[in-house]
Amino acid sequence: MKIGIDVGGTHTDAVVLSGTEILASHKALTSADVKEGIVKALDAVMSSASLKPSDVSSVMIGTTHFTNAVIERKHLSPTAIIRACLPTGTGIPPQYDWPEDIANLLGNHIYSIKGGHTFSGDEIHALDDGEIHSVIKDIAQKGIESIAIAAAFSPMNPVHEVYLANKIRAEMPSANITLSHEIGRLGILERENAALLNAALGTLADAVVSSMKQALLERQIDCPFYVSQNDGTLMSADYIARYPALTFASGPTNSLRGAAMLSKISDAIVVDIGGTTSDVGVLANGFPRESNSFIDVGGIRTNFRMPDIMAIGVGGGSLVSADGKSVGPKSVGHRLVTESLVFGGNQITATDIVVAAGLETIGDTQKTSHLKPEMIKAANDEIHRKIDDAIDRMRPSDDPVPVILVGGGSILVSQKLNSASKIICPEHAGVANAIGAAIAQVGGEVESIVSYSKIKREDAIAQITQEAKAKAVLAGADGNFVRVLDVEETPMSYMDDNAVRLRIKVVGELKKLVKS
Amino acid sequence: MKQISAEDIKDLCCGAAFLATGGGGDPYVSQLAAERLLEKHGPANLMAPEEIPDDFNVVSIGMVGAPTVTLEQLPTEDEAVKAFDAYEHQTGRKIDAVIPFEVGGGNSTIPLTVAAMRGVPCIDGDGMGRALPEAQMMTFPIHGVKPTPAVLMDAWGNSAVLHSNDPLTFEKHIRAMAVAMGGMICSAEHGMTGKQASEAAVPKTISFATRLGRLLRNHNGSIDAIELELISLFDNTQYGVVKRLYTGKVLDSERKIIGGYDVGSATLQSFDDNLEPMTLLIKNEYLVAQVGKQVVASVPDLICMVEQETSRPLNAERMRYGQRVAVFGIGCTHHYRTEAALKVASPRAFGFDMDYVALEDIR
Repeated sequence: MKIGIDVGGTHTDAVVLSGTEILASHKALTSADVKEGIVKALDAVMSSASLKPSDVSSVMIGTTHFTNAVIERKHLSPTAIIRACLPTGTGIPPQYDWPEDIANLLGNHIYSIKGGHTFSGDEIHALDDGEIHSVIKDIAQKGIESIAIAAAFSPMNPVHEVYLANKIRAEMPSANITLSHEIGRLGILERENAALLNAALGTLADAVVSSMKQALLERQIDCPFYVSQNDGTLMSADYIARYPALTFASGPTNSLRGAAMLSKISDAIVVDIGGTTSDVGVLANGFPRESNSFIDVGGIRTNFRMPDIMAIGVGGGSLVSADGKSVGPKSVGHRLVTESLVFGGNQITATDIVVAAGLETIGDTQKTSHLKPEMIKAANDEIHRKIDDAIDRMRPSDDPVPVILVGGGSILVSQKLNSASKIICPEHAGVANAIGAAIAQVGGEVESIVSYSKIKREDAIAQITQEAKAKAVLAGADGNFVRVLDVEETPMSYMDDNAVRLRIKVVGELKKLVKS
Repeated sequence: MKQISAEDIKDLCCGAAFLATGGGGDPYVSQLAAERLLEKHGPANLMAPEEIPDDFNVVSIGMVGAPTVTLEQLPTEDEAVKAFDAYEHQTGRKIDAVIPFEVGGGNSTIPLTVAAMRGVPCIDGDGMGRALPEAQMMTFPIHGVKPTPAVLMDAWGNSAVLHSNDPLTFEKHIRAMAVAMGGMICSAEHGMTGKQASEAAVPKTISFATRLGRLLRNHNGSIDAIELELISLFDNTQYGVVKRLYTGKVLDSERKIIGGYDVGSATLQSFDDNLEPMTLLIKNEYLVAQVGKQVVASVPDLICMVEQETSRPLNAERMRYGQRVAVFGIGCTHHYRTEAALKVASPRAFGFDMDYVALEDIR
């Protein structure tokens, strides 16, 4: 029996799964205390499914803690960045484009040193032990424990980052070190930003993971537990303590993955309609399609693996103009229950339109009786046009696609959508996030620039697949059941005619642990 | 003299991305680097081409190589000024002004930073009025300016001096040197007199790109709302007619690397069912636009694309299925309408089997 828990900013959801069957689900407000919230969620679903602690084989947790910490500028530790790239890179020092408030929280402890590699694999400069030693001494003297390390082209050749980490550990055994090549891809500015955020979240990650462990311990649940990451795969608890930044987009990812399981469709568009926005994402092969562009986390540019989500301003609380021709993006949000017509307010919302059209019975239906049929039709058409348009923009080709609706606002969709081959509103859609966490697999990803003039394409793919599998096994996968999820080849202009950026992602089932 | 300061750089980069006709890569790195240097060293003076004294020693300066390399090997603060200094040393003459290769991507900002750091003016103009991939396509060699001596400088301070017999050989050699010198180099080249520069340069493009970028950035809404304003911005410039060629969504975008270039095509579909799809032929930049079989614009005229809903320029690497775009055709400057220019910058020069037809003569 698996338990999936999604700790969101507002709600904490939990489900019990036996295979793909949902035995129990629960939704409650998120509590300030992490441990207490998880204990409550566990108690609710375990009693409803009549589970004993020994029935639980694994617990998967999705959390927005770390995203919120960055956005709210809370619980971030003073952090040093060491960038190995000199003599290149002096034109843009680390953290140059950071918002001042969060840069100051981390303390602007910035060190650029000689090192790094070129695109062809040569050293930009050899590392200089004397220089390294004086940097470490300075960091130690300042009492900084969190350190991010980024070297030029480290995703292709990490030896300089690894060497630096070893040097630091020798002099500062308790340092919390993040190596950029372990969490980011090519693009040193974005990758070092990711490493900085990850390092700054280290102390919080330790506390959160230990609260999660405590919660399970209190309920005598002795099974392994995992935390879901951006790409819909899992990290072991110890892994998340080291890589908290990899959870930044796990919320939308879990929602998409949960929708896939609930609808039993692996290629579809998922529309998560909330109170203020609709989040439209793409399921390809059961996993979210990832964004190609840079992702802003709390004002900081990163290149994390994140699902490609388009948010449009249509939700249950969206304001509707008097003629019905305009819907959203302004919304009454969570004040829907006081400000909309059906709840006695005086704002016309998208929910009022659904009620006025006779499609749903919510609140006092009489309160919408003054709305004119042509106005109701105009508003309904506009809602559908906006959602249809968003689906059309996100779908992978011009062919109609299955559309899965989740979220409380899914009542807004009552008509045919031109871009949809069919519309599916699965049961339990309200706890899709927790289900997404519960069904997550373990993944590994490796990216490298290779030249097909120097290595045969098959050999390059085989070699990088092997590296990705090793990463997945390290993260807890059973090496015998790992499959390739995605091979992405991006040709690189100007360079060698056959140079490509090759990115391979694998996923696998969790290794069944023998309990000690 | 006008000035360009750090606050203008975002506008300039946005406008330059529009005029880059799909090429030029992600402008973020060059934008940050330029903002920082201009904050540190103060604004750069912009000298209009008609103000250049005839006997001025004008040198073109910019980066050559693979944009992808700069994602990891970030620019140094002094590579470009080192190239500037080495050029002076090599030729034994002071440089009086610098001028960009092209208005598009990072090469619009490099000469401005050099100008700010060395206290010389940057010419408000460039050698293309757009972006094009090769050195012989610049207006300078087309006007008979010799590309060499050229001083190539890498991030380590290694330099090389090229003396080439002709522009095509120069292009071949500098491309090979860029790969050998770490993938991205700075080059000071195409030394010319002030008189030559005032004749050969496409004038006012830096200030124009800044105004253009400001219009697009300040608006940040649908291009439809500012279309007239955009078109009138091109009045009284060296550019020719401006036409909205197409509005539609990206159906398909496919590129391969052939001979060191991104070569491929993209297909757009109109929202008007009666209109056939648009095909864009790409070689780093958008070079030919066809609706059905009919060519509606071709290089050296500019084919510029913006996201319809945000008015932001869209470069070829970022194009993706579903994006709503508006495509504009803009008549190139008269510099590219001569026989000599069309020989190196018309569709045939890129290997397309079609003659160039001027934008204003189509339909």
